[in-house]
Amino acid sequence: MQPPAVLPTSIVVPDFILRTSSYVWYYCQNFVNAIPGSHYVVDYVKRSHQHDPYRTMVEIFLIIYGIVYFLRKPRKQGFQAGPKLTDRETDALLDEWQPEPVTQSSSKVEWRTEKIPVVLTSSSKTYIDLSRNNGAELYENVLNCCSNNFLQITSEPDVLQVAKNSIHKCGVGACGPAGFYGNLDVHTHLEYDLARFFNTENAVLYGQDFCIATSVIPAFTKRGDVIVADDRCSVSIQNALQLSRSTVYYYDHNDMDALEDLLQQLQERELKDKLPALPRKFIVTEGLFHNLGDIPPLPKLVELKNKYKFRLLVDETFSLGVLGSTGRGITEHFNLDRQSSVDITIGSLATALGSSGGFVLGDSVMSLHQRIGSHAYTFSASLPSFTVTVGSEVLRRLEKDNSAVQRLRQLSNRMHHFFREDKTLKEIVEVTSDNDSSVLHLRLTEDLRIKKFNYTEESFYKEISVMHSKYLTDKHIDYYETEEKFLQEIVDYSLKEFNVLISRNTFVLKHETLPIIPSLKVCCGSKMSDQELLRACESVKKAVVYIVTQEN
Amino acid sequence: MSSISNTRVPLIDPAAQSLEDKRANEYGPLTSKEYLHETSSQQGEPLQEPIADTPPYYVVVITYLNYLILIILGHVHDFLGLTFQKDRHQDIMEKDGLAPWFSKFESFYVRRLKLRIDDCFSRPTTGVPGRFISCIDRISHDLNSYYTYPGTATMCLNLSSYNYLGFAQSEGPCTTAALESVDKYGVCAGGPRTQLGTSDLHLETEKLVARFVGKEDAMIFSQGYGSNANFFNSILDPKCLVISDELNHTSIRTGVRLSGATVKAFKHNNMENLEKLIKEQIVSGQPKTHRPWKKIMICVEGLYSMEGTMCHLPKLVELKNKYKCYLFVDEAHSIGAIGARGRGVCDYFNMSPSNIDIMMGTFTKSFGAAGGYIAADKNIVDRLRCDLTTTNYSESVPPPVLAQTCTSLRIIAGDLNPGEGLERLQRITFNSRYLRLALRRLGFIVYGVADSPVVPMLLYAPSKMPAFSRMMLQRKIAVVVVAYPATPLIESRVRFCISSALTKEDIDYLLRHVNEVGEKLFLKVSTGKSSVSRNGKPHNWDIDEVIRLTPADCKDDKYFKE
Repeated sequence: MQPPAVLPTSIVVPDFILRTSSYVWYYCQNFVNAIPGSHYVVDYVKRSHQHDPYRTMVEIFLIIYGIVYFLRKPRKQGFQAGPKLTDRETDALLDEWQPEPVTQSSSKVEWRTEKIPVVLTSSSKTYIDLSRNNGAELYENVLNCCSNNFLQITSEPDVLQVAKNSIHKCGVGACGPAGFYGNLDVHTHLEYDLARFFNTENAVLYGQDFCIATSVIPAFTKRGDVIVADDRCSVSIQNALQLSRSTVYYYDHNDMDALEDLLQQLQERELKDKLPALPRKFIVTEGLFHNLGDIPPLPKLVELKNKYKFRLLVDETFSLGVLGSTGRGITEHFNLDRQSSVDITIGSLATALGSSGGFVLGDSVMSLHQRIGSHAYTFSASLPSFTVTVGSEVLRRLEKDNSAVQRLRQLSNRMHHFFREDKTLKEIVEVTSDNDSSVLHLRLTEDLRIKKFNYTEESFYKEISVMHSKYLTDKHIDYYETEEKFLQEIVDYSLKEFNVLISRNTFVLKHETLPIIPSLKVCCGSKMSDQELLRACESVKKAVVYIVTQEN
Repeated sequence: MSSISNTRVPLIDPAAQSLEDKRANEYGPLTSKEYLHETSSQQGEPLQEPIADTPPYYVVVITYLNYLILIILGHVHDFLGLTFQKDRHQDIMEKDGLAPWFSKFESFYVRRLKLRIDDCFSRPTTGVPGRFISCIDRISHDLNSYYTYPGTATMCLNLSSYNYLGFAQSEGPCTTAALESVDKYGVCAGGPRTQLGTSDLHLETEKLVARFVGKEDAMIFSQGYGSNANFFNSILDPKCLVISDELNHTSIRTGVRLSGATVKAFKHNNMENLEKLIKEQIVSGQPKTHRPWKKIMICVEGLYSMEGTMCHLPKLVELKNKYKCYLFVDEAHSIGAIGARGRGVCDYFNMSPSNIDIMMGTFTKSFGAAGGYIAADKNIVDRLRCDLTTTNYSESVPPPVLAQTCTSLRIIAGDLNPGEGLERLQRITFNSRYLRLALRRLGFIVYGVADSPVVPMLLYAPSKMPAFSRMMLQRKIAVVVVAYPATPLIESRVRFCISSALTKEDIDYLLRHVNEVGEKLFLKVSTGKSSVSRNGKPHNWDIDEVIRLTPADCKDDKYFKE
């Protein structure tokens, strides 16, 4: 069989090459023709070649480049091949490297550990026994002004009996995460109870209150989303914002004009930017500030969030069970409906409700997505069943009878009144917390701080910020440490002389990225009598006055 | 029993039963001394690579096809839904100028793939998650969009709870201690550890934990996830490097991300890869600036909960010492469950705990309690007590949980009820080895080392997951199925969590049903290299023969080698 001629005879080519290539061409053609529908492709190529022969060349070049590109070894992006090191040089470098120790030495902060009270009885009671410094100091019948269990409902024997019944029925641990058989009927029922009590569509339980913000916020935010937060938020929220990947803006503490300006600016910028999709936008604040004890102006926040289309997240760790006439938190305090005003509420079972764990309140869609996307929920074991049964029991009691909340408010108001109105104290300390807060936050006045420790909130924050930007981890600042020790002296004095236990606000400088000032906290519990509260207030006053004047 | 269906989970009281029955249902009595086995220590020897069986190609192709069909159908569903049924898709659409909580793309997997099998997850239970678990019956409606509850519960054999040593009991010394602690300390710990959250019980537990794991000091936290997630930011900063196993738990990843440290991952348990990475990183230093790293920390888990594999501790220690790195081992699953004395990976490899810089673990799994610990040298722990956010801002551990932890620790260590702890440990080892070998002999692909109480059995195609889970539930066995993203895309699996509470007969029951279901679902795709033939037998054994021979064979290491 004569192969078809593909080359003009005028070009001299050795015969065998001609022959072989002709055969190859011939069989290729046959093969291509054998594929059904191939003639469309062939026709197309032919026609395009006819129209524009250069195009065929460009396309062939592109195909070859494509093949080469795909077969090439992948090159790491941003990788700069440094000078090639010999084995000896590498070994020398490996040998030379000296790491820092795992942690810095604890000598400078040791004093804090010595001052931790070790409770020998139930810490929810009004009077407790405690020891400190490895049992070197022992105190009996101390008036407890330090407990976060403000309502003290879980110190009642019949509530404890509920816990015991639950342990009898279900054991202690839940032995699994919620997704895998870890949630008992009682867990779901506490969620129903919480949703009913706080009037939201749904509630989601978490194992630890501190982890909630750091889990919920990142679950709903991604790069490009916008968060506007109060600049006195607690560490839990600071961590959450760090993990959120979104653009974070801060507004001045509780300053609604500043917030509105900021939102206005953001809105203008958004209109200018013409984003492909609407970003999710959040305003983040706290119901009762962990660091200061004051309350944000919620009605204005709600108005702004509706106006500028933001969602509102309120961390109510300290305000649920405390604020509002029946303890339903900051929304009740301002006579607002929680469902329509606050989108995400973070609450704790370990504070006023006196159990353990935490929860998030909100609508059903948000709750459902949390159950899949929120890490602290999906990757962590469920709460022990007795803590949830106790939670349900406390809510049931609060629904029936809210005298504990009323009593707590009465005591809180009285306590704040005492410290606010006292003339001698006015000169030396200032109260930052709201009258309704069950925790009284006490700090030295600005003048006294300048006089004694020679620094102000601004200068201090500036110094931390510099350290922060340099990634210095051992943030040790002498004057801060001295003031902390000074406050601890007040705590010690009131414990030793008057048998009243209060506490410093235990900040960790290392983790605080927002302005803080050392402060004291005095808590009241609803089971305290008026005399007991008065005694506590008097004792703290005497301790403060004694230590401040003694040092002068 | 009410016949009215309800969409809310009902509260169900456990059926009345005699004390003996209750005890036996929570912790099955040992039927024969034969069914005990003591883990033989590795004596510092490296671990034999577990047999990695691969499925035939057609299984892989089918699995990918399965996903492809699901994804195409999902997109069609989305398109139709967003065109014609807007009211049912409010959650992914903009509403009143607010962006949806989740974008359509982000939630696609959850809405269109996971929702189809949602009835296999989050099954509500009641009572003690012991040898048996009471699953509350529910009926799924409208492709799992909601459930109704007839108000009944079914007792299922429990292969789902992390109840490794069977301490999930509502009766016995642990419970008694927990009840006593309620009387003495109440149910709540009053505040952060540094304020009012420390009681003498906390200190006692910390001492016990430190002694148990063999470290100088320890700290305890109220949540295992939280211990990891808020730990790394106190010791690492952006000038530090974390070299992390690619399969590390999310809590470690979250913690490391919070610290700002740079993370480099190495291939799961691949020590050559790790060494290369360490060398490379020490030589090149920090990215951009090329300054040397301040610290390098290797983070691994003792026992990987999805794979059943263990870290190569001897090699890790060698590398860590050679290159002056620090070693962090998360023993969430291994503490209590691994090693002849239940003391985790160090015990298993017979190495001193001083080789590990920071040991972390949880009490949820083996101890039937909740929370986590971090154990290290005294100077480290002393500093951490002041630095950690968890101790300064977060709630403390509630007393009954501590009492449970303390008592179960004492039992394992043999201080309380001598012999009981040892029996529990030997039972879990026997149970794990028996189930793993028997499943391999039946022709299933099973991952993990011989002694690991996590027995993952591969299912591959995603549609087999719900099928397997539902069929097992019909047979009154509660199992956990896991898929992507917790595992690689095609390696969907069922994870049997072994417990000391199970008897050999329970496992026989399980094996018979798994065998039957496995045949129906074509799950026996092993190549046979993992079930060493005995007397020239073919690899897919008969079920009766497996049950007859495996209890004795499983005590011999040679059957777990290729």
